[in-house]
Amino acid sequence: MPTIVIASPKGGAGKSTAAVVLGTELARAGARVTLMDCDPNGSLTLWAERAAPPGGVTLRSGVSEGEVVRAIRSAEADGAVVVVDLEGVASRLVSRAISQADLVITPMRATTLDATIGVRALQLVAEEEEALGRRIAHAVVFTMTRAIRSKQHQGIERSLREQGVDVIAPGLMERAAYSALFEFGGDLATLPPQGNMEAARDEAARFARAVYDRLVAREAAA
Amino acid sequence: MSEPFRIDAGALRARPKAAGEAELRAADRAGEAQGFLAREPRRGGRRPSPRTGQVHAKVLPHVRDEILEEAARRGVTQGVLIEEAWALYLARQEQERRPGAGGPDRPGS
Repeated sequence: MPTIVIASPKGGAGKSTAAVVLGTELARAGARVTLMDCDPNGSLTLWAERAAPPGGVTLRSGVSEGEVVRAIRSAEADGAVVVVDLEGVASRLVSRAISQADLVITPMRATTLDATIGVRALQLVAEEEEALGRRIAHAVVFTMTRAIRSKQHQGIERSLREQGVDVIAPGLMERAAYSALFEFGGDLATLPPQGNMEAARDEAARFARAVYDRLVAREAAA
Repeated sequence: MSEPFRIDAGALRARPKAAGEAELRAADRAGEAQGFLAREPRRGGRRPSPRTGQVHAKVLPHVRDEILEEAARRGVTQGVLIEEAWALYLARQEQERRPGAGGPDRPGS
């Protein structure tokens, strides 16, 4: 099964939220998912401590630089879709995880700072493609977006698209439901009502579907 | 509300990805070129000496201080004192090896 690496050297970009939303939604759609917590802050581990992970989701915690390649290959061979959450720093752990990725997703808030730092992940993917001699699919997802997109958001997105960067739609809006996942654990289906739950569930499902479509399209193109 | 979707597991497969030592080094080099560096503390490094508790222990701290003071008093380097101590050690070894000779701590028979 494929590996999706959530990578950005920028902290607070929404990596762990994207990982939990994606992993739990893929599981709800019928996949077996291994969420791999490679962040020393242990955000996914904290999420799993709030409530047992939903059916179909397994958590692997505390994966270090020396273990990450072997851990990903082991989970892939087990028949699970692997979602790797990384720390928001430029580390060797990130480059090693990307070397095993079928798809790299870079979450990015629609700010110039996030875009400037987040782009370093895209540059790393390009460097690794050349070094490893294989194509590594990658995409950006905007996080913590607002209902009305700012001019800055529009400008950053246009600039990325003009440079040929794949931007996943929908992005993940700033929602109480996403924050509450780390308070209550579980997934959006079991979460006590937080804000507009229906919109959150709908957006999360469409986001997971957009990621799934990219994995299938990549497979068909191979 | 969007259409619920079901994953076709048969449509999802991992691409072949090499993960040997050469590929790992290539990924590391690519990362370093972009400033993605090793940031985890190295494990299994040199352990502190059980005798002195120091990682780079040479001699006990009080002996180190005495050697330092003596070298300064004589105006020589600490290495000169070590060479002199080594010469004394070799002389003692030679004396111990002589048939019938006792070492400094062992009176000759």
